[in-house]
Amino acid sequence: MLMMPFINLQLGDRIVTLMAALVLVLQIAMVSQRWIVIHIRIFAAQSLFLAMIAATIAWFNHAPHLYVAAALTLVVKVILVPILFERLVKRMEIHEEIEPIVNVPLSVVIAGGLTLVGYVVAASFYRPDEPGLGHNALAVAISLFLIGFFTMINRRKALTQVLALLSLENGLFLAAISLTYGMPLIVELGVFFDVLVAAMVLGILVYRIRETFESVDVSRLRRLRG
Amino acid sequence: MTERMMTRLIENAAQLFLLLVLAPLVTGVIRALKARLQTRRGPGILQPYRDLRKLFRKGMVIPETASWIFAATPWVVFFSTLLAGLMIPMVAAEAPLGLFGGVLAVIYLLGLGRFFLALSGLDSGSSFGGLGSSREMTISALAEPAMMLAIFTVAIGAGSTGLTEIAGAAIGQNWRFLAPAQMFAFAALALVLIAETGRIPVDNPDTHLELTMIHEAMILEYSGPYLALLEWAVSIKQLVLMTLLINCFWPIGLQPTWFGFGALQGIGWLLAKLLFLSCAIVLLETVNAKMRLFRVPELLAVAFTLGSLALVSTFLF
Repeated sequence: MLMMPFINLQLGDRIVTLMAALVLVLQIAMVSQRWIVIHIRIFAAQSLFLAMIAATIAWFNHAPHLYVAAALTLVVKVILVPILFERLVKRMEIHEEIEPIVNVPLSVVIAGGLTLVGYVVAASFYRPDEPGLGHNALAVAISLFLIGFFTMINRRKALTQVLALLSLENGLFLAAISLTYGMPLIVELGVFFDVLVAAMVLGILVYRIRETFESVDVSRLRRLRG
Repeated sequence: MTERMMTRLIENAAQLFLLLVLAPLVTGVIRALKARLQTRRGPGILQPYRDLRKLFRKGMVIPETASWIFAATPWVVFFSTLLAGLMIPMVAAEAPLGLFGGVLAVIYLLGLGRFFLALSGLDSGSSFGGLGSSREMTISALAEPAMMLAIFTVAIGAGSTGLTEIAGAAIGQNWRFLAPAQMFAFAALALVLIAETGRIPVDNPDTHLELTMIHEAMILEYSGPYLALLEWAVSIKQLVLMTLLINCFWPIGLQPTWFGFGALQGIGWLLAKLLFLSCAIVLLETVNAKMRLFRVPELLAVAFTLGSLALVSTFLF
């Protein structure tokens, strides 16, 4: 009976690792994706897995406030933000493909390389003597962060940059829940409110850019120079 | 000693029989399922056998420009594929010719067949053949690293590149494909399987009429018995790769050795798993459109990245 919590923790660790791996695969799928609507849906799926990770950690570590974080992720990132963006895409009539600066095969390989960097960084935080959840999740979180950053640099269109920013934020969230088993609830609430507001404000901003320059290609913003 | 040799001989004969007979059936089942899913009636599942019989009876036309390579290719392709098939575990973890080489030998035997096929595409003197050869080589050069990385991931888990050891280590770990490393490796190998067997996002196996064809372009000049040998070899190669995939990653029902009641059970499980994988392939082929040739490297880059992630995560997870 003494061993039970440890076995449970191991099972929890395996589930979290599996989900984290799926999150990482979806992040790489995002890098290789050309259609913006599918890009948005992949983001929604990634957020869904993130919510499931949060719920798993809450269950196995008896941290009930993480359920709130999981529910908020579900409502905000899986439902609200994708709906908001899909409506924006429909309203702006964006049909064209995403045009990355570095071509897709190379981007995917770079994303793989960034994942390695993430693992190397996370390895220095590894304490094998402490049984706990989420050492792998930390590595995935750092990789998400780096790949999100890379995707932001790599894209020309404002909307896809916003999506990359949000997936980067997913990485931060994953790091927070896997390292500390969740920040205090009030911080989480603030962060989610922040994400929602940011998504709305950026959505309006993208729309305004489009209205002014008749394109969401940010490289055209250089015309502002006097 | 002689008894041991007899056992080996029986194993080899049984697997040879299984490879030769089962391969056209798998092709037939995939075609029939695909037709059903597209609400066509389609040919029956025995059609590939009838095609083979018809082709073996026909005469041959050989291009005037062709050299001995053209005549040698069907034999080389057929027998190298068959030999590769004898080196993989099918019904039991023990591969009949496992003694002669592991997974690397299997991959490069298939590579030998592909090399000759590409040569004969050039040899036939038609411009389509050359196009097909160059495309096939481009794709296989990109698919091979991804395949290697995925295979090495599995081999590290077993501590050996021998397929008998790999399949043996997999027995009893029915749920291990849920581990991240195995999952990445499986995804990478599945993408490579699609590219190598010329399935739809990469190549269309059903048509000779597209300018974008790859495999069919290489064998365009073949007819009669040679064409039959090549078609048979292609379906055996497909069976070999599918079996490799399912026995490395879903070891449920795989037997340690060939004999007794276990062999029947093993065959039953093999058929069930093949049917399942065929259904997955059919679904994938039906919902996807063929990719433009220049997009194929993107798909294989994803496979490569997945393969390298798999290899890395065996060390880190």
